Amino acid sequence: MRIAGGIFAVALAGLVWAAPMAAQPAASFEERDFLSRVRRLTVEGRRAGEGYWSPDGNRLVFQSEREPGNPFYQIYVLDLNVGETKRISPGHGKTTCAFFRPGRPQILFSSTHHDPESRALQQAELDFRASGQERRYAWDYDPEMDLYAYDEPTGTYTRLTTARGYDAEASYSPDGEWIAFSSMRDGYERPLSEAEQKQLALDPSYFGEIYIMKADGSGQTRLTHTPGYDGGPFFSPDGTRIIWRQFDEQGLIADIWTMKLDGSDKRQITDFKSMSWAPYYHPSGEYVLFSSNKLGFENFEIFMVDAAGTKEPVRVTYSDGFDGLPVPSPDGKRIAFTSSRSGGGAGQIFLAQWDHEAALAAIRLAPSRR
Amino acid sequence: MKRTHLSRITTLSFVAGLLAGPAVLPSQSQTAVQSPTRAHVETLASERFEGRQAGSDGARLAADYLVSELTRLGARPLPGQDDFRLPFSFTAGVKDGGSSLTLTREGAAAARFAAPSAVQALSFADNAEVSGEVVFAGYGLVVPESQNFGYDSYATLDVTDKIVVVLRYFPEDADQQTRAILSRYSDLRYKAMQARQRGARALLVVTGPRSPNAGEVAPMTFDTALAGSGIVAASISGEVAQALFAGVTDRSLEEVQQSLDTANPHVAGFALPGVTVSVTTAVERQRQTGYNVAGYLPATRRLALPKPWVALGAHYDHLGLGTHGNSLARGEEAGRIHHGADDNASGTAAVLAIGEALRGEPRSRHVVLAFWSAEEIGLIGSNAFVTDPPVPVEEMAAYFNFDMVGRMQENKLTLQATGTSPAWARLIEQANVLAGFDLQLMADPYQPTDVASFNQVNVPSLSFFTGTHADYHRPSDTAEKINYEDLDRIVDFAASLTRRVADLDEAPAFTRVEQTLMPSGGRSGIRIFTGTIPDYATDVKGLLLGGVIGGGPAEAAGLQKGDVIIEIAEQAITNIYDYTYALDLLRIGQPAKVVYMRGAERRETTLTPAARR
Repeated sequence: MRIAGGIFAVALAGLVWAAPMAAQPAASFEERDFLSRVRRLTVEGRRAGEGYWSPDGNRLVFQSEREPGNPFYQIYVLDLNVGETKRISPGHGKTTCAFFRPGRPQILFSSTHHDPESRALQQAELDFRASGQERRYAWDYDPEMDLYAYDEPTGTYTRLTTARGYDAEASYSPDGEWIAFSSMRDGYERPLSEAEQKQLALDPSYFGEIYIMKADGSGQTRLTHTPGYDGGPFFSPDGTRIIWRQFDEQGLIADIWTMKLDGSDKRQITDFKSMSWAPYYHPSGEYVLFSSNKLGFENFEIFMVDAAGTKEPVRVTYSDGFDGLPVPSPDGKRIAFTSSRSGGGAGQIFLAQWDHEAALAAIRLAPSRR
Repeated sequence: MKRTHLSRITTLSFVAGLLAGPAVLPSQSQTAVQSPTRAHVETLASERFEGRQAGSDGARLAADYLVSELTRLGARPLPGQDDFRLPFSFTAGVKDGGSSLTLTREGAAAARFAAPSAVQALSFADNAEVSGEVVFAGYGLVVPESQNFGYDSYATLDVTDKIVVVLRYFPEDADQQTRAILSRYSDLRYKAMQARQRGARALLVVTGPRSPNAGEVAPMTFDTALAGSGIVAASISGEVAQALFAGVTDRSLEEVQQSLDTANPHVAGFALPGVTVSVTTAVERQRQTGYNVAGYLPATRRLALPKPWVALGAHYDHLGLGTHGNSLARGEEAGRIHHGADDNASGTAAVLAIGEALRGEPRSRHVVLAFWSAEEIGLIGSNAFVTDPPVPVEEMAAYFNFDMVGRMQENKLTLQATGTSPAWARLIEQANVLAGFDLQLMADPYQPTDVASFNQVNVPSLSFFTGTHADYHRPSDTAEKINYEDLDRIVDFAASLTRRVADLDEAPAFTRVEQTLMPSGGRSGIRIFTGTIPDYATDVKGLLLGGVIGGGPAEAAGLQKGDVIIEIAEQAITNIYDYTYALDLLRIGQPAKVVYMRGAERRETTLTPAARR
């Protein structure tokens, strides 16, 4: 779940929010300047999101809530040349955040299916819904969540992490040898102060930090140490940097950062004074797509900014509600994103053609940051 | 009438050439780049088919074209049929067959009026000869008590067994607000119902000397609700009215009208002294024969799957010259050929092109290719089909409808009725991965197109639609405005869906879509919602239900398709109009007694109206 649950929990709690800051840059664009043939890809089920491309661009892996017995996300692979969709996660428990491994027929995701309580939790959620109540959408950062690698030829799962605390939001390096992920294990592994214990009960995402490990799960190393939720790490196309989003301590403001694989040379890419998150590099490496609620607390739009973050971000989407989790295809000509634009409030995955040249031109025109 | 005759000759020779071979197809189609739909649209929307109004020569030519195309595709007539044409009869119009009025005054010779300009039946009149004394009842207006607006032209009158004379329209000099209220109740059908309910034997309507069209008889208008109003009703000329009022010596008809025109509710009507009248009405309802056209591509595998049929359908009729009420033609366009390229040559072409794509392929279910007529005047063709289906509707796995699919903009394709089966989401998702439309999904099957007919008989359905436009129901809906590239993409997409459904082991389950209702007691101005679906295409006395909306008040009251409502809230119902007016008496959330016939059995129930969304 690279959509930080806290974002929605806080948004729905209706906290006071400062008015959007400075006006948009002077250059004026429309969605159609960058996106064409926008269309909804997923239809089945209550919601779907986080679509990531296979390295050859022929498949998409995503999470969706679409099977009657399980009210939580499972992981599906969609063959874009045929239209067939297949579940690759075990089918019970909660899962999230899938990613194709470059060079090997494996798919990474997070799951709680090893938890003996997982089926009981499914039933409890189903009963809750059957009672007619509607839960405010909130991701619970289940501490049982651990990383798994699914091997497509054999259909077997290899557990890569075991630490108590939410391990998720994982992705492979371009050579397929490294995994960056977010973990909240810091909230469970060491003695906590009274204030920290309260914080853990209220919102464990405060303890979210970025980690890196080898693809087999060995050598797990912590890279970030600031209070507040660090998550959603992805590697740059050349494999030399990690990009992620860092929340402030209160969990209201988030910005995009990058760092080297050893955690050094941390650089802030945005200072957008809003919740800016879900960054993903364009395969050209020249710019980054991300989403932000800059224009209204519950109106997330996709923005883009040059990879070094020297410019003001440029707005990409123009539709009310949620537009986020932008992921360009490996050839850089298409984009998958999650949107609520089809109505009903819940997100579905959308596809569009991406105009790389128009994006570059718009970024060139953007004013410098500050 | 030579003109009509000539055009008929040219159209016939055209079709004769058409059947001979493709050489006479419109020349554009020969140069078109292999679009599987373009030639069909250009042919059907051409001048020669004269707008394909149901029952017209143009529609017959269109049916001939569809028959020749089904033949070419190798389709078979449906089981038990030896022709692709499936005839049904419907009422296409009304005319006066010789109504008359005889006026008898004491001590004078009887005067008989029979010219159409003097006496003409109202189109909803019952045919009979009645006679009696005459009562003038002002404008014949009654505003229901529920409106809290006191106006009743009959308040001081006893019209039992009388002939009632009323003015057409409503008080001419009333203020805007009063006019707004009174105009709602000035429809002649409503006036006839009020007279009937008070025991009158006939209603005579005169256009007052102070009104527009003064002294002229009211035209007979085509009415899709065909049932009579239960009373003899005619309109009379100013001359006839003068003769009736001859015994009123203290004031003229014009002065009488003037006293009423302020809408003062205390100005009463009166009996016309010394005169009796005998009225004979002769409404001729013109029954015509329409033709659905349908055939099927048989399954090639013998798998004995459940529900072995899949149906694809589109209506091929349109508005002809637009003279029957549905036209939106403006100014000079009026009366011209309504080409109906998008509505619905596009859907017709799509079904043909899907058939073309599927022919010669293996499949496990039979695929029906159906073309409906008389859709534009109330889904009559598709209703006739599902009412007496050549293929049992219980054996239909799915119905796909195509109505206006030729004007796609920005890649947006609307799929309606997606709520009719839980199977649709996956199938749509799979097929659209390759098709790539920006889909707009609408669960609601209660649409003004033939998909509603199939929803009523529990067939899982989808309806394809690319949206309305400025040329809708106008002569300017022409073939060159069709977006063929995207129409052909819809054909590919729908063919893919059809293949998938035709090979499913389990037929899609049907779900009845519930209509979500607002809680009762809503804002003023919200219309009553009863959840009934009237069958507009019937001559039955009462309100025949073509269906009830899932989750609506009618369903909750136990009403179902085929029931005939004859009374609601103490109001006798003989037709759809009585019913519409009776709705004014209902209040949201307040139970009302309903009397209805189920077969020969008279039943009662209680219906609690809700608010319309």
